[in-house]
Amino acid sequence: MATPLLDVRDLHTHFIARNLDNEIRTARALNGVSFSLDGGKILGLVGETGAGKSLTALSVMGLLRPPARVVAGQVLFEGRDLIAMPPEEVNRLRGARMAMVVQSPKSSLDPLSRIGEQLVRVQRAHDPALGQAEATARAVAMLEAVGIPDPQRRARAWPHELSGGMAQRVLIALALVNQPRLLIADEPTTGLDVTVQAQILDLFRELVLANGIGAIIITHDLGVVAHYCDDVAVMFAGTIIEHGPVAAVFGQPAHPYTRALIASTPERLVIGRTRTTGAPPPNLYALPTGCLYRDRCPHAAPDCAEPPPGRAMGAGHIAHCHFAGRLAEHAA
Amino acid sequence: MSSQPTLVTENLVKHFRAGGNATVHAVNGVSFSISPGETLGMVGESGSGKSTIGRTVLRLLSPTAGRILFQGRDISTLPERQCRSLRAEMQMVFQDPWSALNPRLRARALIEEPLLLHSGLGRAERRDKVEALAARVRLGSALLERFPSELSGGQLQRVCIARAIATEPKLIVLDEPTSSLDLSVRAGILELLHELKQETGAAMLFISHDLGTLRLISDRIVVLYLGSVVESGPTRAIFERPEHPYTQALMSAHLPADPTVALSRHVLKGEIPSPINLPPGCGFASRCPLAIERCRAAMPPLAPVPGDNHHAACIRIAEGANRIPA
Repeated sequence: MATPLLDVRDLHTHFIARNLDNEIRTARALNGVSFSLDGGKILGLVGETGAGKSLTALSVMGLLRPPARVVAGQVLFEGRDLIAMPPEEVNRLRGARMAMVVQSPKSSLDPLSRIGEQLVRVQRAHDPALGQAEATARAVAMLEAVGIPDPQRRARAWPHELSGGMAQRVLIALALVNQPRLLIADEPTTGLDVTVQAQILDLFRELVLANGIGAIIITHDLGVVAHYCDDVAVMFAGTIIEHGPVAAVFGQPAHPYTRALIASTPERLVIGRTRTTGAPPPNLYALPTGCLYRDRCPHAAPDCAEPPPGRAMGAGHIAHCHFAGRLAEHAA
Repeated sequence: MSSQPTLVTENLVKHFRAGGNATVHAVNGVSFSISPGETLGMVGESGSGKSTIGRTVLRLLSPTAGRILFQGRDISTLPERQCRSLRAEMQMVFQDPWSALNPRLRARALIEEPLLLHSGLGRAERRDKVEALAARVRLGSALLERFPSELSGGQLQRVCIARAIATEPKLIVLDEPTSSLDLSVRAGILELLHELKQETGAAMLFISHDLGTLRLISDRIVVLYLGSVVESGPTRAIFERPEHPYTQALMSAHLPADPTVALSRHVLKGEIPSPINLPPGCGFASRCPLAIERCRAAMPPLAPVPGDNHHAACIRIAEGANRIPA
């Protein structure tokens, strides 16, 4: 089998800091994240706040800041381990071969440069030999590709002159101008209006497919995953608890957490049926052994004190639960 | 059900002064009513004026023109002092519970606050009432001793809801109360609001941009665009037979969390225009694929369309030319 574009293996990221009593405290934020991604595919990374979605992206991109650091695992990008690579070498790849679109477009653009200049700068940072004229021409072409009307004139606009949707298009242009192989978008449409969200997601998918890019969309919106992603990985407490093709995971969710998550989407929710409210996520400073979902799981049994194995549910569909495939169909 | 609506607005207008001589036309003649025990969902994009309407009906803002009738009484020009006593009967829940609560008060004191202001209950009675309210919103009594920083988003929103229902209001305005919450937490809050509506018979104005949430919780829906109502009607009718082209586009842009549901996409071009320089005529004409010259001439009136209590503001409906082709 060919090398996947991105192959994350057993990634562990911890926050290691000293408390007021000068004792070392470790928050185990990522606890063995593994997944792989091929070019031309879109993977949706979902989970609740604090599940480690953004942290996975930052760990992959080498953008962690102390006290967070990767303590174990590999991030194989085109077969080479980014974790073992010297930071300067990762810097050369980031922005060129792999890029990221972050959540708040308005605060992610340099407020003191025109958007055209920012597009030129990101190209020349990775290719100093590139001429100004050529970089400018490519910047304008990129603005046109992301659907910005009158790109020639818009290249001279300041970030504050852009609407939220336009700013998000510029961020996508910035991420794509160097023709990356890997693109990670962290909540790319959160905060945008629904009619604008549709425009941005259509654009995103179109560009990813046209250029054979492997993309990850981090979101808490299962609607985005259902309609724009090929695969989905569900995270809980810093692990991927279920992973597979979108149709399979939405159609036959096998992990109790995935089931609960899908059951609480507005489409499936039945108002008037009493339910238990979501308990707080596990304490990352004192994680239990075995299944991390144990404390919240309605099906928890003595077996769950052991780490759950990955059970294959179908082609490429894996659930990490002792009882995956053995739970009653209706029990969520 | 009593015949008198809890809240009626008639041609509500709210303008803001912007820098220089510019005027922001946030709300431009909005009329709606909410009956006791009814939840009215209000949907619109940013800049549609939905939050401004929420604040104006509670008189947190004063209307520029138009009338607000609360239980039959015109409160649109009521002096601030009298508004304050009225607030026991009308309450609000905000989007962001982290910034809506005083970080220096424990949950117990936060829930007690409206009782201190409005109830006249003695200390022991207040204490009992706080415990009852916490139980009602399913906030464990141990959590009452915590500060906001020690509570999760869902728990904080429960504190906010307990505060809002403490004085047994007749009207509760909820401005995106679940938008900042995780899915499973959101479901619990929606359940709670639904129960409270049935128990208390309070009228609710539920403001949201999330169609999925509105479909679950609303009896009727009002669709806003650029400070005007473009369509209103029973929730089912709005979802199944949207008449206004904007409502159709909004529905088709909604992504149900189910990959087997095929999308019928009419992706709109452009974004909502600035409310500073309002275009004449229909506010949606600049993005509407069906707009004709006449749409830009005059503001279309909100007119009845087939179905029960269903209205839309589009001149192309009468011509039968209001369906956006797939």
